[in-house]
Amino acid sequence: MPATSPAERDELNRLLQRTAAGDERAFAELYRRTSPRLFGVCVRVMNDRDEAEEVLQEAFVTVWKRAGSFDPALASAVTWLMTVARNKAIDRLRQRPDMRQQHDVDFDAMIDDTPGPAHDAENDEEYRRLRACLSELEQQQRRSIREAFFGGATYNELAERAKVPLGTMKSWIRRGLLQLRACLNP
Amino acid sequence: MNSTFEADKDNLRYAEYVLGLLDADARAAVAREIETSPEAAAAVALWQRHLTPLALEIADEVPPPHVWAAIRRRLRFDAPAEQPRTSVWDNVALWRWLGLGATAVAACLLVLTVTRPTTKVAPPVVTAPSGPTTLMVSTIAGESGVAGWTATMDIDRSELLVVPASPDAVASDRNTELWLIPEGGKPISVGVFPPTDPKRFHLEKALLDRLGPTAALAVSLEPVGGSPTGQPTGPVIAKGAIRAA
Repeated sequence: MPATSPAERDELNRLLQRTAAGDERAFAELYRRTSPRLFGVCVRVMNDRDEAEEVLQEAFVTVWKRAGSFDPALASAVTWLMTVARNKAIDRLRQRPDMRQQHDVDFDAMIDDTPGPAHDAENDEEYRRLRACLSELEQQQRRSIREAFFGGATYNELAERAKVPLGTMKSWIRRGLLQLRACLNP
Repeated sequence: MNSTFEADKDNLRYAEYVLGLLDADARAAVAREIETSPEAAAAVALWQRHLTPLALEIADEVPPPHVWAAIRRRLRFDAPAEQPRTSVWDNVALWRWLGLGATAVAACLLVLTVTRPTTKVAPPVVTAPSGPTTLMVSTIAGESGVAGWTATMDIDRSELLVVPASPDAVASDRNTELWLIPEGGKPISVGVFPPTDPKRFHLEKALLDRLGPTAALAVSLEPVGGSPTGQPTGPVIAKGAIRAA
């Protein structure tokens, strides 16, 4: 998805706040502008378009009902919306263990360590920082963290996919997260 | 108090929650912590801010139109997406203009009469024809004359919308409370509202009946949760007359 310019960020924050005030038009505009990003994430996590449509629906119903809890001091509207959508997707994966089978793809093939040229993600300041910090991790750590984020997989599933013991996977990710935290909160 | 080790363990658990690594039970436990502990909520929010930018790498996908239709259906919005409601009440441009006008003209009063498109089907027993909608407007300004908020009342819908113009900063241990003051009467509480966000109130009939050109609106500073006595207890920081067309 394309990065968000500061002006667009403000505009989306405003639309989300107006949604909190019960403004259906602001909500419709918010949907129009953010649903492609959110749907992209839903499709990636669910790996199934029908399921992703369900998740997107639930996410926006929740957005309408809970927009009042959005606090622009804590997160941007995009981050807040993305969090709602990812939470819905991951909750659904946990309720439907049968969904996992479809996710059983080759660990190495699935991991894309570099963003595609179609995205101007590099423009986003926070993304640049995250990427710089991720690049300092060992490859196993970085790959596992990325795979967890994009696939919503549990430790067990990740360990199976990478064909390593559960303890190894946990230690890769936890050490990676601690290192990432130190790098991101200097 | 948590030892550093335990704090680290909690913090890792929050990161694992954000990544999506936890099983259903552990996820539910963190979700409960977020609701009850501000520290947990802040730690989770920080990880979300750190990690969510990864989603930038995922290509956009436009969802099929039936998803939006289903969302509207589930939320019971009255009109389908193809025929958006065209009421002035929902007109973003109008609100933007009102906010702008309020800042610029300070204590000036804005009076508007607008005709709502007659989209509703008349009931079998017609009592009143759907005529023009009267919006009553009030600019709620401080002593300096700078508009803090603009309030608009839609009588037909029994609603009042208060929109910030240039509100002064409010201490975090104070709430702003909106009052309706009928001429020669005691203030009636409309409710507590966030000073920097738009807020929509439903107006009870008792309030509606007293709304009119002789009434005024006022904002006072109250303890968190609003006045404990039912009457303003703190200083009135802004007020404005109500005008109807």
